[in-house]
Amino acid sequence: MTTTRDWLLSDRPASRRQAKLGQSYRTWLDFRTNALAFLGLLIVVALVLMAIFAPWLAPHDPLVGDLNHTRLLPPLTEGYWLGTDDQGRDILSRLIYGSRITLAVVALVAVIATPVGLLVGTTAGYFGGWVDTVLMRITDIVLAFPKLILALAFVAALGPGIENAIIAISITAWPPYARLARAETLTIRNSDFIAATKLQGASSLRIIWKHIVPLCMSSVIIRVTLDMAGIILTAAGLGFLGLGAQPPQPEWGAMIAGGRNFLVDYWWVAAMPGMAIFIVSLGFNLLGDGLRDVLDPKRQK
Amino acid sequence: MFHSRLLASAALGALLLGATPAVTFAETPPDTLIQAWSIDDIISLDPAEIFEFTPAEMAGNSYETLIGYDPMNVSDVFGKAAESWTVSDDGKTLSFTMKPDRTFASGNPITAEDAVFSLVRAVKLDKSPAFIIGQLGITPDNVEDMIVQTGPMTFDFKMDKAYSPSLVLYCLTATIASVVDKQLVMQHEVDGDYGYGWLKTNYAGSGPFTIKDWRPNEAVIMERNPNYSGDAPAMARIIYRHIPETATQRLLLEKGDIDIARNLTAVDIAALEDNADIKIENGVKGSLYYLGLNQKNEYLSKPEVRQAMKYLIDYDTIANTIMAGKVKVHQAFLPEGFLGAVNDNPFSLDVEKAKALLAEAGLADGFTVTMDTRNTPEITAMAQAMQQTLAQAGIKLEIIPGDGKQTLTKYRARNHDIYIGRWGPDFQDPHTNASTFAYNPDNADDAASKPLAWRNAWDIPELTAETDAAMLEADADKRADMYVDEQKYVMENGPFVIYAQEIEVAGQRANVNGMIIGPSFNDNNFAGVTK
Repeated sequence: MTTTRDWLLSDRPASRRQAKLGQSYRTWLDFRTNALAFLGLLIVVALVLMAIFAPWLAPHDPLVGDLNHTRLLPPLTEGYWLGTDDQGRDILSRLIYGSRITLAVVALVAVIATPVGLLVGTTAGYFGGWVDTVLMRITDIVLAFPKLILALAFVAALGPGIENAIIAISITAWPPYARLARAETLTIRNSDFIAATKLQGASSLRIIWKHIVPLCMSSVIIRVTLDMAGIILTAAGLGFLGLGAQPPQPEWGAMIAGGRNFLVDYWWVAAMPGMAIFIVSLGFNLLGDGLRDVLDPKRQK
Repeated sequence: MFHSRLLASAALGALLLGATPAVTFAETPPDTLIQAWSIDDIISLDPAEIFEFTPAEMAGNSYETLIGYDPMNVSDVFGKAAESWTVSDDGKTLSFTMKPDRTFASGNPITAEDAVFSLVRAVKLDKSPAFIIGQLGITPDNVEDMIVQTGPMTFDFKMDKAYSPSLVLYCLTATIASVVDKQLVMQHEVDGDYGYGWLKTNYAGSGPFTIKDWRPNEAVIMERNPNYSGDAPAMARIIYRHIPETATQRLLLEKGDIDIARNLTAVDIAALEDNADIKIENGVKGSLYYLGLNQKNEYLSKPEVRQAMKYLIDYDTIANTIMAGKVKVHQAFLPEGFLGAVNDNPFSLDVEKAKALLAEAGLADGFTVTMDTRNTPEITAMAQAMQQTLAQAGIKLEIIPGDGKQTLTKYRARNHDIYIGRWGPDFQDPHTNASTFAYNPDNADDAASKPLAWRNAWDIPELTAETDAAMLEADADKRADMYVDEQKYVMENGPFVIYAQEIEVAGQRANVNGMIIGPSFNDNNFAGVTK
């Protein structure tokens, strides 16, 4: 074990691979010292595991309840540890299955919005001039709308549903990444190594993709991780307004909306999914904070 | 320093003063009845236009119709503004005599002139409820020849056919047949509008209460009518407060800030049951909850599938859990309390039978179908419960939520698969529901009349003819039998899964007595309320 560690921490790496792995290991060690960030990572990992193993973890069917016998049972009832909702469904099972929806939304939004943001930002930053002006004004226009309101408008136009909610959130999520990528690009576009690559005859596409995008990645990843909590909240907000996931899907926001009618007498129907959203958002925020600390190259060691 | 201390003590004193009323019990004044209700459906206070639930109740307490019925026994019909009537031998003319020596709230006498004016005005204005009179063959063009004053206190009401007398009389108990004060209304006439612009927000009637003020989405204030001919009500004032949130209504009721809460949910009712300060009053309403199955859908048009759907609703469970206290199971298109209503409920949840029926239709593996669902908590909860039971037979129900306007617009254009809805009768005669559930004179997309049978594209020439015949049947027993047959046929074959009848619930403070909850909203009566 110690040999692996020594190999990783060697200050004279023998290969590129060793250097890369060593760098990653150092980052990890750095990250591990931050207790809060580590807690965030644990929450996110737990969420992922919960989503993967949902069918084995959930004690009951999330979609089928027994109206006559298990309706609105309080938490800590045997077999229904988080209580049941107004359809007699087990809230714990619904939360577990709901983690799949939440995770899918977060992952898909990240996969759709990040490349778009990166592409727009780096292109604008690299070319400058009218390309920059046009792309950034479009970005400004999208940024000028409040996120949730814009997402609402898109969902209203596309029709309610989880797929449309993902598309709508993605449409509203990319501009900050474009901004960020452009700023990063501006600082490096006039560097010597870019000029050298140009002299060697590399195309603009190659320069952007091979030399600029990798350098923007770390700051964008941090930003995406920090935004995940916001994405979860937006998705839950759409679900709450009836425009996201549709019944009987156990989307957390929709579950809160359903429980709102019973808030006075049966607080847990709305409180449990609320807690879930709170914990997961917190997890992503802590993780994002920690990542920013370890990935920021300008940070003082 | 001195000043600031003075200021501080003054502020403290003000705070204490301000806090005092909160400490004492916030009781309502003894001669005022305060109700919390969602009154945002009011668009007009003119009886010729009122077609919504809440203004119908207000009109019922402030106007007098020609004829009334006992809300506890609907078949007991008596004159309200009219004293008596006779039916001509050919059955086409009713001759009314008005009650003598009575006055409107304004002090003007009530005469046959006012009654004729009110009916002619309603037909000429031709607002939403005008068809109630119009279906008797009275149009804006011929109304002046059909409804004619024959003396100071008498007038004739003529029709184009000899309609069943009970149908005609029930039509004249509807809000649209309220007698309005001609003299007062015509003082406010603008460009021959029959005072419509003025009466929309004002009052010209003769009921136990007068409508003093209507502030949209805020309040309606009614006051005792000093010129009312009957017993003067004990309450000097009735105030309706617009409070849309049911939880807020419940809290206000618990605190004693209001006397009656009108929109309590099943959860609220259960929670208030043990409260000694509060009692729950209820009354069976005529409104029905049903599913409309569009016959344009390839699956739903199969008769076996329609039957199977009726075996896949857990009627009792819905009525006992989600809607506990707010509905009762009912499956015929005439609500309980109507002439000829069928009150036995042959269908119950039977998954095996439904599966067999689906297999017969060649759909043993089920199918996928959508349901347009209004996004109110109760409708959504019922839709989800149905989604679960339908899934047991392999029918995948996709819920498409929308607000009331969206879902209704789609339904009216018959672009739905399934629509989950609520239907309220327009007047107390069975024809009101028969003419919509069992009547479809033209199933073409551009048909002029669009009853519920049309909205679900159910082509029924024979049944339509039967409904027309029942409308003209003079013998009440024979007529009732005709409606029983129609209901049984619709129950077995129709594209309607009728599953519940509404029960109206009013949470009242324990000291409130005498509110009558009638079968329709204009029957809810506050004249006898004491506290």
